[in-house]
Amino acid sequence: MSVKYIPVQWNFNKYFYDLVLLICVAVYILVFIRIGTPEAGVTRPIDGAIIRMRAFGTCAFLMLTVILCIGPLARLDRRFLPLLYNRRHFGVLTFLVALTHVVYVLNWYYAFSDISPVVGLLTTSETSGQLLGFPFEWFGMLALVILAILAFTSHDFWLAFLSAPVWKRLHLLIYVAYAAAVAHFALGYLQDATNPFFMIVAGGGAVMVSVLHLAAGLKASADGEQAHKGEWIEVGDPTVIPDGRAIIVRIKGNERAAIFRNGDALSAVSNACAHQNGPLGEGRIIDGCITCPWHGFQYRPEDGCAPAPFTEKIPTYDLRLEGDTLLIAAKAHPPGTKVDPLTVPERDA
Amino acid sequence: MSNKRDDSFFIGWAAPPSPLRWFMVAVAGFLIVLFAFSAYVIAATQADPGGGSFRFDWGRQNVVGVLSLDPYPVIHVTESERFPAGHALLLSGNGKRGVQERAEPLDGQLVQASGVIINRGDIDMLQVRNGEAGLSAAEGDAATPIESEDLGRWRIAGEICDGKCYTGAMRPGQGLAHRACANFCIIGGVPPIFVSTVPVEGEEFLLLAGPDGGPIPDELMAQAAILLEIEGQVERLGDLLVFQVDPDTISVF
Repeated sequence: MSVKYIPVQWNFNKYFYDLVLLICVAVYILVFIRIGTPEAGVTRPIDGAIIRMRAFGTCAFLMLTVILCIGPLARLDRRFLPLLYNRRHFGVLTFLVALTHVVYVLNWYYAFSDISPVVGLLTTSETSGQLLGFPFEWFGMLALVILAILAFTSHDFWLAFLSAPVWKRLHLLIYVAYAAAVAHFALGYLQDATNPFFMIVAGGGAVMVSVLHLAAGLKASADGEQAHKGEWIEVGDPTVIPDGRAIIVRIKGNERAAIFRNGDALSAVSNACAHQNGPLGEGRIIDGCITCPWHGFQYRPEDGCAPAPFTEKIPTYDLRLEGDTLLIAAKAHPPGTKVDPLTVPERDA
Repeated sequence: MSNKRDDSFFIGWAAPPSPLRWFMVAVAGFLIVLFAFSAYVIAATQADPGGGSFRFDWGRQNVVGVLSLDPYPVIHVTESERFPAGHALLLSGNGKRGVQERAEPLDGQLVQASGVIINRGDIDMLQVRNGEAGLSAAEGDAATPIESEDLGRWRIAGEICDGKCYTGAMRPGQGLAHRACANFCIIGGVPPIFVSTVPVEGEEFLLLAGPDGGPIPDELMAQAAILLEIEGQVERLGDLLVFQVDPDTISVF
């Protein structure tokens, strides 16, 4: 949470996260160049520039695959949520690794000529209409441009400037980047290489990303639609909500509310965090505040406002009881509207 | 009321709960092993780029021979310490450049050339030095015409490559990943070659020519670096096979 924009608000978890990322990339590049390549049975050594462009290109692809696995993994098993916490740094580092790959390509395949590398990139890879030989470089360029946009807009300034829903939609372009990267490899390296292991790593990664998203999507779609009673939606027995936790209620379409219990008080807020649309209902009440499971943004349950000096606000909902049944209003209040908490009815043991 | 931390709940700005801390360390360890393993198996199974290379170990080569300009500049050696008389040397300039402009006034003449050899099996390319020291007319005349033999019409499967990278200026210097570079070379005037999947008259590569015996047409650029079949007239020129391809007969595998 922030009241002013500073480049990175460092903490122990971010240091640990970034350290692991840098170790992964350094290990990948070093193992590829120093240990793996000398084991390849070659008559004469492969060019150093080509080894490095392969190392950085395949590393970026692996990083992108892991990034896309984090979201569904965190959905399926909450213990993976820490991976999601600093995923933006993962994305920025992936862009830098992919950019290094491109620099090696331009300085080798597109160099030593009177033709400008950029002009060459846009003109020499002609398509002859068939799949084989289709200019796979175009897909690589598309993936890189998207990664550049995402890296550039990864800061909270852009999140606030664009608004969370727009920023979120923009960053869903990561899937387009991944599809483009898969096409880049499939039409280029995979068709060319006699290397079955890369096919396994690349294909297996793409399959894993798809399966995890399918599983997470199935889990999410299992949330049933609640029964509507005019302006109110039937939720059910309020006593089943664990203390300090929430249940998530689908209001309509993709709109969801989170009903939190804080002791014997019930409050309902939008399920979408104002920061990155994180699922607040999967969070906890910490120090009296609803705490987002993604990045720890906090809101007071009764009015959806972040505690001072922070300024984020989320919509709130009215709650009422009809007998023992809890109902939530189908229409949200504007962000930051105070709603008196509802007291949980006492039950006989 | 319970504000007590749930043991599995992670808050980014707070110290992670103990069980989650060990889970995070385990995930970090798994990722490092995954990256190391992936790097090793991908790198260790890279394909052999072949035995071509610059032969700096041979030193600077000075040759005398008859220069033929079409379809691309070639010297048919008459005098050399390393190469037998009659051997064909493909010519290129520095980088991805040919020597057409320098060779044009010397077509059919006895020339002397100097530079570094790029060699792969039976193919030799001379990357000539800059200026007259690299390529100039030699004393004497090209009294002996270069022997040519028409080997008939062939349909051959293989790949269009640039003669410099395939010969060893780059390793690997063929295949789809190298396609743009091959196009740069061929556009720049480096002689293109056709690398056949099976030997043709004992040779695995043929110098490419257009249907009129001149440079290949631009439309063949889009077909570089992919496995294809193409028809054309094959001619033996000295110890070099020249393949005059007909672009209309291409079929891609």
